Amino acid sequence: MKLFTSLVTAALLSGAMPVMAETQNITWWDFFAGGDGVRMKALIQQFNEENPDIKVNATTLEWGTPFYTKVRTSAAVGQGPDVMTYHLSRLPMGLKEGILTPITDADLAAADLKQDDFYAPALAAAKGPDGTLYAVPFDIHSTLLFYNKKLLEGTPYLDADGNLTGVDSLEGFEGALAAAKEKGSTAPISYATGDDGGVYRVFYTLLAQQGGELISADGQVLPGDSADKAVRAVEIMTKWYENGWQPEQALYEASVALFTSGKSAFFFNGAWEVPTMVDLEAKKELGFEWGVAEIPPLMGKQTNWADSHGWAIPIQGKSEMSPEKRAAVMKLIGWMEKHSLAWAAAGHIPAYKPVASSDEFKAMKPNSNYAGLADHATYDPRSPVAGVASPVYDAAVNVLAPAIHGYMPADEAIAQFRAEIEGAMK
Amino acid sequence: MAMIRNQRRHRLVAYSLILPFVAIFALVFAYPITEVIRLSFTNATLIGGGDWIGLENYRHLLADRLFYTSLKNNGYFVLLTVIPTTAIALGIALMVQRLSGRVQALALALFFLPYILPVSVVTQIWAWMLDFQFGILQPVLELIAGKPVPVFKNPHWVMPMIALVTVWWTNGFNVLLLLAGLRNIPQDLYEASALDGATRWQQFTRITWPLLWPVVTLVLTLQLILQLKLFDQVYLLSEGGPFNSSSVLLLMVYREAFQQNNGGYAAAISLVVFLLIVAVSVFQYQVLRIRGRR
Repeated sequence: MKLFTSLVTAALLSGAMPVMAETQNITWWDFFAGGDGVRMKALIQQFNEENPDIKVNATTLEWGTPFYTKVRTSAAVGQGPDVMTYHLSRLPMGLKEGILTPITDADLAAADLKQDDFYAPALAAAKGPDGTLYAVPFDIHSTLLFYNKKLLEGTPYLDADGNLTGVDSLEGFEGALAAAKEKGSTAPISYATGDDGGVYRVFYTLLAQQGGELISADGQVLPGDSADKAVRAVEIMTKWYENGWQPEQALYEASVALFTSGKSAFFFNGAWEVPTMVDLEAKKELGFEWGVAEIPPLMGKQTNWADSHGWAIPIQGKSEMSPEKRAAVMKLIGWMEKHSLAWAAAGHIPAYKPVASSDEFKAMKPNSNYAGLADHATYDPRSPVAGVASPVYDAAVNVLAPAIHGYMPADEAIAQFRAEIEGAMK
Repeated sequence: MAMIRNQRRHRLVAYSLILPFVAIFALVFAYPITEVIRLSFTNATLIGGGDWIGLENYRHLLADRLFYTSLKNNGYFVLLTVIPTTAIALGIALMVQRLSGRVQALALALFFLPYILPVSVVTQIWAWMLDFQFGILQPVLELIAGKPVPVFKNPHWVMPMIALVTVWWTNGFNVLLLLAGLRNIPQDLYEASALDGATRWQQFTRITWPLLWPVVTLVLTLQLILQLKLFDQVYLLSEGGPFNSSSVLLLMVYREAFQQNNGGYAAAISLVVFLLIVAVSVFQYQVLRIRGRR
């Protein structure tokens, strides 16, 4: 009996005493499956090598609804990850679900970060309505204007340095589209006209440039004259279709192919496609010189749609994460922020200003061409029905995409678009 | 005494034999059903209990415009598939029956092949064949419509096309059922009627059709249940669009539950779908049986 008691005591003691040198195992979930996933895995590997006391076990899950469904259900029962990538546009939904833990000042200190280190729009998107921080922004990615210099050569829309000129108004831009059409561009402005993301991001950019609001802070859809501005945006996109300037029902891959095969003079797509162009050019498979810039202020205001990837720490069911583990997670996040230059090679702008204002990043082409948008980008509305893979995206492919192909007048389409979003908010 | 013990043993054996079934049935069917019913009266999320809100979900559902659109689309899809697929399957079965030996086996295999494909493969094949830019079938559509048609993006084409894909996919099984029914009809009847000078048409209407009717009833009912459960093809081909013209009830369930985290509301919709399928299929089966008895 004595022997038994001492054995039990020994076992209990050894189990209860945390050894400081013990390795912290961190379960990490992300949704980066493409070229950006390769870059992220390299970063994780480097972190694991440099920090023997922390071991990151990374799993890549499917982007979109599958990822967020899995996070929500697993975190609620304590089977979720210790840290995960999170779209800041999805933050309102995460707060409604109650699965995100606040990032305290102590957490930030453990990561050696300060709130002021981040760009204001990204930081605002990482906060709840009461100003509590729920995520750490990692990057800023937005829609950009890619262009084909070969197709614009000789037109008044390309200057001697190969930069765009005279396209910073709707008239100017449409003039450039017409000129490119003349020069044999079959679809002068390519974007994913048959997909949710492609249509939504262009629509939202055109709306934001007019100062329109999709969902107001008090939950009104297209308040005031925003509805008229939304109609105007749809009319413009419809006109581009009717004039044969934009491709009909192009899905994502087709919209990329139209540009890379030299059929489109312009291309609206996210910063994440920058590596595609860089790689093709390096392999000498592009066949033309290309450039990329912020979307010009076609409707007056200089802004465009943007979102951020960030880090979030989910709840652990009914239990709490140990302080040691949380400190390790924050250390990991801080390390990633300081190494985000490698992530910028995927086309993104680091949300962490010390890296974004470093000489290395400023020398990074083409990212530095559009780095200015970090200050004036427009994020998705702060609503649980907005953000990636949300009802707003569904309504875009369900209503806006067919409307810009002439299946419904713009004003009726906006009325239905609004009804769909309002229906999802109930 | 021995007999009583024997009887008791018999009963024990009987219970032990049905126990596995009862246990599994209770676990994977009875329990989930009671849970769905309970959930549909709560505001539960996907995980967790939620609060009792009475009939609120059902009130919301009856005021939801998308519910009626989806209901209408489900009805339209049933019209487009159930009777056409049965008629086509009957035609194919009658033709296959006239073949013999290896040729018959080969023909049957060819018609059955699509049925063994998973739905994701089926929809991928058709999405490629009907692709707006590169689809191999676009010249055919050009003959009909005069220009290429983005079929899954066009509000008028989307449902008929999903129906076409579905019929192509599931027809083989119906052919098999009807062929089995045809083989059950004694050959003597045809020989006797031929001696009496019956024409082919008379043979079909007086012998084949009445004797095949029970199988036709079964096929129609199975099809009705299957097609009311439409989800995969719509999710993979059109996502309910454009303008909700291919939105169906189960897509609503999916979106409410997995995208919007409204477990209670999703449970209410799925319960309505369940009751709808039970009611419609029982009704149809009874009507067809009465007709057959006449």
